[in-house]
Amino acid sequence: MANAFVAAFEILSFGAIIVLIVLGLGIIASMMGIFNFAQGEFVLLGAYITYLAYAKGLPIWAGMVAAPFLVGALGFVLEALIIRRFYAAPIVAMLGTYALGLIIRESVRGLIGGFYLTVPEPIGGSIDIGTMHISAWRFTIIVITLLVMVGCYLLLSRTSFGLRMRATLENPSLARASGISTPLMYGATFAFGSALAGLAGALIVPVFSLYADLGIRFLIQGFVAVMVGGVGSFIGPVAGAGVIGTLSAALPWIMAPVVADVLVFVLAIAFIKFRPQGLIAGKGV
Amino acid sequence: MSKSMSAVKQAIPAEIGGGTDVAMTEGGATAQAVAGRKILPVVEGVVLVAALIAPLVLQDYLTVFATRVIILALFALSFDLVWGYAGIMSFGQALFFGSAGYGVALLARDLDITNIFLVLPAGTLIGLTFALLLGGFLLLGRHPSSVIFVSLGTLTGSYAADRLARGWYYLGGQNGIPSISSMTLGGYEFSEGPAFYYLVLGILVVVYLLCRFLVRSQFGLALAGLRENEQRIAFFGYKAQHLKAIIFAIGGAIAGLAGSLYAFHEGFVWPNMVGVVVSTQVVLYVLFGGSGTLIGAVIGTVIVEGVSFWLSDNYRDIWPIILGVLLLLVILFRPLGLISFVLGERERVGSFGASRKETDKEKRHAAP
Repeated sequence: MANAFVAAFEILSFGAIIVLIVLGLGIIASMMGIFNFAQGEFVLLGAYITYLAYAKGLPIWAGMVAAPFLVGALGFVLEALIIRRFYAAPIVAMLGTYALGLIIRESVRGLIGGFYLTVPEPIGGSIDIGTMHISAWRFTIIVITLLVMVGCYLLLSRTSFGLRMRATLENPSLARASGISTPLMYGATFAFGSALAGLAGALIVPVFSLYADLGIRFLIQGFVAVMVGGVGSFIGPVAGAGVIGTLSAALPWIMAPVVADVLVFVLAIAFIKFRPQGLIAGKGV
Repeated sequence: MSKSMSAVKQAIPAEIGGGTDVAMTEGGATAQAVAGRKILPVVEGVVLVAALIAPLVLQDYLTVFATRVIILALFALSFDLVWGYAGIMSFGQALFFGSAGYGVALLARDLDITNIFLVLPAGTLIGLTFALLLGGFLLLGRHPSSVIFVSLGTLTGSYAADRLARGWYYLGGQNGIPSISSMTLGGYEFSEGPAFYYLVLGILVVVYLLCRFLVRSQFGLALAGLRENEQRIAFFGYKAQHLKAIIFAIGGAIAGLAGSLYAFHEGFVWPNMVGVVVSTQVVLYVLFGGSGTLIGAVIGTVIVEGVSFWLSDNYRDIWPIILGVLLLLVILFRPLGLISFVLGERERVGSFGASRKETDKEKRHAAP
């Protein structure tokens, strides 16, 4: 019983981490049609900023709060300078963002060297339920992920900003004709997606520690999750992330980890092949 | 013929989104055509001569390095066929390269087979088989797959293979398979050096000529059409998906050939060889050199590998950053690659069968 509970918690917490990472990726892919290969590096930057705050002796949570804003600002600048040129061609966008990611990743590698740097958890210790102990920080991540998910949903579905964003996505020329500044909306969307990646990086760095390939590790899982969930809505990628995160955390409990690792990808690709529109089709929120 | 040519040209700016560049090179192409010169064979000839004399002037350790570059150029050629000609973005080309490498490494380790006439065909066959399986799955089917799905599918396949190779004890896990014995021909052992270099160069030249014949054939014309406007090609009655699967398989076979040569040349295989790192590396080569020209792939490989070899002594840390910046600049401002500095758009696309004199005349009549 206790074992099953711990397993369930592990699975849930890994699923939450994947959801957190995929949120930004999914928003950019759904709203702008760009598969952002630099997203993993935005995660890395968020983690790096948190580490910097810790290394300079500031409280860790200060770094975690600053990370999404700084990474979001960087995303806004990059969108205006570079990403903007790629909208017409999705493949060129992949290559361009890959190049951007390469630059960021190697710069960070140059700054931190080849080390694994640890950042302590801002909320340490464990929560005890009877005889079982679960990590307090991982629990916090789950809670924050839920809050961020609800927040994003409300932002997109209930605010005028969200409405303009969705209008820009669905019909750019009509949106422009209605007085919405579409370039500004694209910039804001990209910045928002990057900020979410920065937040994800800041939150997971105590769990995974900081190293240059931190972002890459999640990038492909993230892409697969977005495609499984279905591009074009907010809920689709989140659902896909839940499925992929849960599967990749759950399967190693019942089979050899190597097989499980590969099986998740094979299953996902097969699923996408036969249901290209993804789990949740259609353009809702 | 000329009608479809202009259609091809019109489609290009739409794809790349950088109208001015294309217009510029197009103007250059017309000037070249009027002057009656052909640049492409000259470039190819220069590269071939340089490659032939290289071992004579290079020191031994540089010849070993040059051999590696030639093998990687062969690999780049396979990606160029798939992306530059057919417009299939294969982000997982290393899957075929690496699996063939692992395949011949296992042949050498477990069955003691190193005969060149057995291992190279075996590697090619492995590449072909994997490409047929993956390509067949990703490309064929009732509904045509989207470009995004194919590119991410190949990327995922390569990543999954990397993970599998890392975790599978039989394949050596993280360390891969070390100390593969040399490739043999009768009693002769191919060790690193000029002999291996000329063997590899010979293979590259043969494969290059075959590819050149292929892309200048009717089949190649249909491929270029696929790249520029798939729907139109489908309306013409071509089976677009079948064409794609065929070229994908051919690309896989060439990558397999390159992979088996690489395994024997380096003497070991390791998980990165099937993974995302090598997959993206080959994309870099081809983008730098110029996709859609076979020689561009070769030149790109030589430049990227050469410069990184040269810089890695002093600037090992910042070289990848420079590479990223250069790549970004090429994508933004020179989408047709470095080759487009010397090669006009018209030569790049090719004249496909019609004799040059005629097309020249047509061109003069067309242009007021």
